[in-house]
Amino acid sequence: MFKKYQAFSFFLALLLFLLPAASQETFCKQIANYTMDVKLDTEAKMIKATEILSWTNDTGYSTNELWFHLYWNAFQNNMSTFLTEAERRGRSVSGFKKDDWGYCRVESIKVVANPYFQEYDLMPFLEFRYPDVENLYDQTVFSARLPNAVRPGQTILLRIEFESKVPRPISRTGVYKDYYFIAQWFPKIGVFQDGRWNCHQYHSASEYFADYGTYNVRITLPSTFVVGTTGEHREKIDNRDGTATHHFYQHSVHDFAWTASPRFLEYTENYEFAPGKQTEITLLLQPEHERLKDRYLNAVKNAIKYSSLFYGDYPYSTATCVDPAYNSRSGGMEYPTFFTGGAYFLTWKGIPRPEGVTIHEFGHGYFYGLVGTNEFENAWMDEGFTSFLDTEVYYTAYKEPLYNRSFFGIPVTFKDVKIPIESDGISSHRQTYNMDVLQRFAWEFLEGGSYGANSYSKAELMLRTLKRFMGEDIFARMIKAYSQRNWFKHPQPRDFYTVVSEFAGRDMSWFLDQFVYGSDKLDYAIGKISSDREKKPEGWFDGEYIKREIEANRYQSEVIVRRLGEVKLPVEILVVFEDGNEVRETWDGQYRWKRFVYQQPSRVQKAVVDPEFKLVLDINRTNNSQMRKPNRLAPFKWVSNWLSWLQHALEFFTILGG
Amino acid sequence: MKIFINFGKGFMTTGKTTKMVLFLFVINLLFSLILAVPMYNSLKNSLGASEAGNRMVESFDYIWWEEFRDEAQGLETTFTPSIIGKGAILTNLESLIQMRFFSAPPILIGFGLLYIILHTFLAGGILSTFNQDEPRFAVKEFLQGAGSHFLRFLALMLFSWLFLFAIGAFLHNAILPIIDDISSDSYSEVIPFLLMLALNVIAFFLLLFVQMVFDYARIKAVLEDENNVLKATGKAFRFVFKHPFSTLGLFYLIFFLNIAVTVIYILVKETIPQSDVLTVLAAFFLQQLFIFALIWIRCLLYASQWELYRYLK
Repeated sequence: MFKKYQAFSFFLALLLFLLPAASQETFCKQIANYTMDVKLDTEAKMIKATEILSWTNDTGYSTNELWFHLYWNAFQNNMSTFLTEAERRGRSVSGFKKDDWGYCRVESIKVVANPYFQEYDLMPFLEFRYPDVENLYDQTVFSARLPNAVRPGQTILLRIEFESKVPRPISRTGVYKDYYFIAQWFPKIGVFQDGRWNCHQYHSASEYFADYGTYNVRITLPSTFVVGTTGEHREKIDNRDGTATHHFYQHSVHDFAWTASPRFLEYTENYEFAPGKQTEITLLLQPEHERLKDRYLNAVKNAIKYSSLFYGDYPYSTATCVDPAYNSRSGGMEYPTFFTGGAYFLTWKGIPRPEGVTIHEFGHGYFYGLVGTNEFENAWMDEGFTSFLDTEVYYTAYKEPLYNRSFFGIPVTFKDVKIPIESDGISSHRQTYNMDVLQRFAWEFLEGGSYGANSYSKAELMLRTLKRFMGEDIFARMIKAYSQRNWFKHPQPRDFYTVVSEFAGRDMSWFLDQFVYGSDKLDYAIGKISSDREKKPEGWFDGEYIKREIEANRYQSEVIVRRLGEVKLPVEILVVFEDGNEVRETWDGQYRWKRFVYQQPSRVQKAVVDPEFKLVLDINRTNNSQMRKPNRLAPFKWVSNWLSWLQHALEFFTILGG
Repeated sequence: MKIFINFGKGFMTTGKTTKMVLFLFVINLLFSLILAVPMYNSLKNSLGASEAGNRMVESFDYIWWEEFRDEAQGLETTFTPSIIGKGAILTNLESLIQMRFFSAPPILIGFGLLYIILHTFLAGGILSTFNQDEPRFAVKEFLQGAGSHFLRFLALMLFSWLFLFAIGAFLHNAILPIIDDISSDSYSEVIPFLLMLALNVIAFFLLLFVQMVFDYARIKAVLEDENNVLKATGKAFRFVFKHPFSTLGLFYLIFFLNIAVTVIYILVKETIPQSDVLTVLAAFFLQQLFIFALIWIRCLLYASQWELYRYLK
């Protein structure tokens, strides 16, 4: 009887996730598959769920334990590693009351019988683990010891009952009024790699890492709620008790997040982003942002269209964009096929909002979603690549954004101040370049600013520099190849190195190492330019006294180029003479400086190092050029404008006087 | 009607004392130039002989500016794109209403304070000029008048600050927390935006109201030789509350004239490309004309209020 029951339950569980999967071809091996039945209690702000996890050991190693994330336990007290680190970074939680904390508790965890395993209760064998920081208050990772090992190729089935208390909005999850944003909310298996579990604690400055699989999720909640999730909405069943059950399904993804609110305006469109290729876009919009509907939708369309062009056709059938609720702290975040934007109800032409964040978060669908980088360990490989993606897409699809500033909450644009693509991220890089290196675990950066500047800005600038250094065509083929070759994989920096070197036709470690593992600055400058009349030969030459007249208007000019930083890259130099003649030079940039000397019929007008602006990582662009006759009008023009502001300020502030 | 009659009289009086306006304008310009010189040097040094100089003449080199900003100290930190055109006006308006000037570089705060005190001194001269049977500007008489009223005006200024401080403290400590509470419980950013905008408008109008009352206190001090600051203020309040339509009407008539001039300036300025010597100079002269016009309007306000006070008394 018992064996019959075991066989039946295994069959049932297998059916639950295999049937939907069978209806659609998957894109990759489905390693971690979840079938979940979820109930949201909006009164208690609790989630109760049953999770059936099928995990396949796809490695060449056996394991006799399973490791899991319980991310929401980062929010169960202020001593968790996440909140301790957040406080260190000046982002402490304050004012959390008893009901504001969140958690995820495993109520039961059992091995479901299958041909490899017997039914087995794992509850007595759970143990909280601290792989990164020995913090006994931290319960964001646990392991379960198995009665026998999962051997290579074997699949284990688990039935997990859990409940999660939805916290007050924190770190892109939680509930604000009746807006729920639910991410990292369920017991989630880690990644078994190279014979060990890669399952980091939840850190304040890190994101996530998981294996690909199929998510087959039923969510029951009040029927008035509009729901958006990862993947396809298969059906909605009205339970006739004021609740409805929504069924969602997605294969070949490594996470599942969802949102629910009765206030969402829902818009759905099919979008053909390339001939014969289409996807269904869903926009869940806050009512007060209704006028931004088209801007949001166009941003998503541009993101899909150009990302497909640059990094490979978007393979999923859905893309759901959520306009987050005010105060929900859920803006600007990515999950597979599902992401949040962020908007302010007042925005004008030229202000990249909501476009910038929308494109960025969709872009993560590639670098993190399709290319499954380990965000804990290689943050630059998702944030940097995505920052690069979002600016490339934005500047392709839209014009240069305008400088804008908000006055009294009203954004004002300055039409004369356009923001060039080269400026994206350079300021933060300039201020943090020597704090850390790119390749560092996310929680081990000196400070939050350095994590951001390195993972986002420096990596983006490195890619843009590489693009201009390799040439746009080669780079375009390279980055697309890197993307597509690593879809549904977990690439490491070396995988990127390999593809770059392959397309460059030579080993590019010398280039990449300086940025990935180095913290030096890149700064080339024109040290000096001068032009003097050519010297007349005069004196004893081989026993003969010579005083020779030379051709009138011949000049000897000198240009000195300097390397002010430690980063060494070959550079080009453009020297322009007053008669319009131009000379282009190249310098390997190895020594500290290089002198170029010319005899020409006219004087040097200007010299520019890196005239094509290939080295966007150069922290000082101003010193890259020098003109023999500086433009004196510029400081006058701008001090005149500044003077006008000051005069007005003085006159205006007399309101405080007589 | 009273408003327009006295506005007209004030207009005539100011017209007759245009030299005084010019004098005040020159003081404003010279005072500003003291700070403009180091700013010019900073810009010149930063741009150096770089091509960025050319780009800054043609338009605005954002990359250069970011480099400048990242190294900027003191006064240099105030050089931002938001001081261009309408941004200059909005920056100053926001700084005043939200008291952001406290976060300005110390040298600018000190300089601003000095200018306000100087202006308090000059206000005595302005009103003394208007106090003549046939108003005309002469430097000696102007300065004598300024000197004779300075201490009273200084006391009035400090007294007005008490009012402003009280208003600021009330809005900050009593109203702002309510808005914060509403905001933190709001469904969208629209409500907090509207509440904050309303708060800013209220703060601005209260500030203007206090300024107007103290204008009358100064007029009273000069016209009736009132030495007691408290009495002058009290009577000024009584006067304003007794003639609310006339005083507020006149004040806002001139206030809207100021706004109209400002809007015209912004619109005209934006048509000037400032890409060569001629257009840079044209923009410069337009800017100076604008400042001159603002000072003229300020004198017009005094003159009109002066006439109204005499008319109603």
